[in-house]
Amino acid sequence: MQAANRRKTIGLLMGMGALMWVVVYAALTYFGGTGAGIVPIAVGISLISVWGAYYGSDKLVLTMTGAKLIQESDNPKLFDLIQEITIASGLPMPKVAVVIDDAPNAFATGRNPEHALIAFTTGILDVMDRDQLQGVIAHELAHVANRDTLVSAVAATTAGAIAIVSDILARMMFFGGRRDNNNNANPIALLFSLVILILAPLAAVMLKSAISRKRESLADATAVSFTRNPAGLRSALEVLAADSTVVQQRSTAVAHIWIESPLDAKSVSKMFSTHPPIQERIAVLKSMESLG
Amino acid sequence: MELIIALAAVALIAVFFISQYNRLIRLNITVDEAWAQIEVQLKRRADLIPNLVETVKGYAKHEQSTFDAVVTARAKATTASTVADTAAADGMLTQALRGLLAVAEAYPDLKASANFISLQEELATTENKVAFSRQFYNDNVRNLNTAVKTIPSSFFTGIAKVSEREFYEVEDPQDRNVPNVSFN
Repeated sequence: MQAANRRKTIGLLMGMGALMWVVVYAALTYFGGTGAGIVPIAVGISLISVWGAYYGSDKLVLTMTGAKLIQESDNPKLFDLIQEITIASGLPMPKVAVVIDDAPNAFATGRNPEHALIAFTTGILDVMDRDQLQGVIAHELAHVANRDTLVSAVAATTAGAIAIVSDILARMMFFGGRRDNNNNANPIALLFSLVILILAPLAAVMLKSAISRKRESLADATAVSFTRNPAGLRSALEVLAADSTVVQQRSTAVAHIWIESPLDAKSVSKMFSTHPPIQERIAVLKSMESLG
Repeated sequence: MELIIALAAVALIAVFFISQYNRLIRLNITVDEAWAQIEVQLKRRADLIPNLVETVKGYAKHEQSTFDAVVTARAKATTASTVADTAAADGMLTQALRGLLAVAEAYPDLKASANFISLQEELATTENKVAFSRQFYNDNVRNLNTAVKTIPSSFFTGIAKVSEREFYEVEDPQDRNVPNVSFN
């Protein structure tokens, strides 16, 4: 289960690289030499913005979600549960934060296990029992163990770079930046590369969402390998599925980090969704339970 | 040119040797750490017991045999040193504690006391921590033992002075009680 999910992530990341390569190729076909110069600039811009966020991810996410750090004395029972999972996983103790919000939800972030942070809404702490909360904590620490902040940073960098390249090239087309010495090129190839440049950012976002969905499934599987108790996480997901309240912030920038997507599921189609449907995740966990 | 190729080949082989050696050492250290974690959690549980026994005694004076079982099991658990001994004592203590908590069920006043409730929560989390540290230890022993037995890492066990380690297998007397099935 975990190995299959890892392979798929690698496949998708390679797909992202291939997409980048196609975009570069299309740019070269269309613009000749001038197109090539843009690519390192776009990668550079994207790299700076995303990796800045990656290094400051724990602090940045705290500000964006309004989470407040808490100490062991504030909620000893929660800390006990987290310590149980750190023992099961061999991870260091993460920082713990609470978001004051009635919608049950949780997330993890941090560039490596030493800088990890996991946060819970006050809603999730109120409604869940010990086993359910343990499942949620295991899912969040599984993201930490699988370095999902890194994976999503890589995905976001590539998607961002593709978007910037396409954007700049689209502007150049508009202002007639195409070189005359390319006039002898095949018009079909030119049209084709134009279509690629327009569709590439869309494809990049779809790939990014697909990577995020794979990481969610992987985190569920890793969580079970920590607790050996699929029933806990399954019933936690059932609580989340039954709950219709949504975290009071709809910033798409941080949507992927929550255990349950804070975006209204109906408005986003599956292709662009950052999470696999919760019923699918419950079904997978149920099949693990029957394996014993 | 030939010299460069020869040097590169030697460097590659050296890197391979070092990485294999380091992998074994690392796996072995992780098992040591996992073992230390088990000991920490067992110690934590042992430290909880006198308090728990005193609390239960306050409400249920006539359950002396249950108290004795817990105290004996605790004494055994704190003196055990090898993996097998510790595991056996751990299983006995878990069993004795289960008996103690079952006794508590019969005393509503005890069950309602704040002291007992907080001890019960602490015991529950400690039992989980013991179980998880056991699981983490066994996972790491399995990784180490696989490395010790499989090629190429198996060639380096001699130099690294790393050998197979013992699994932590809890002897839970209840698991031994196979239900009697009769075919008439």
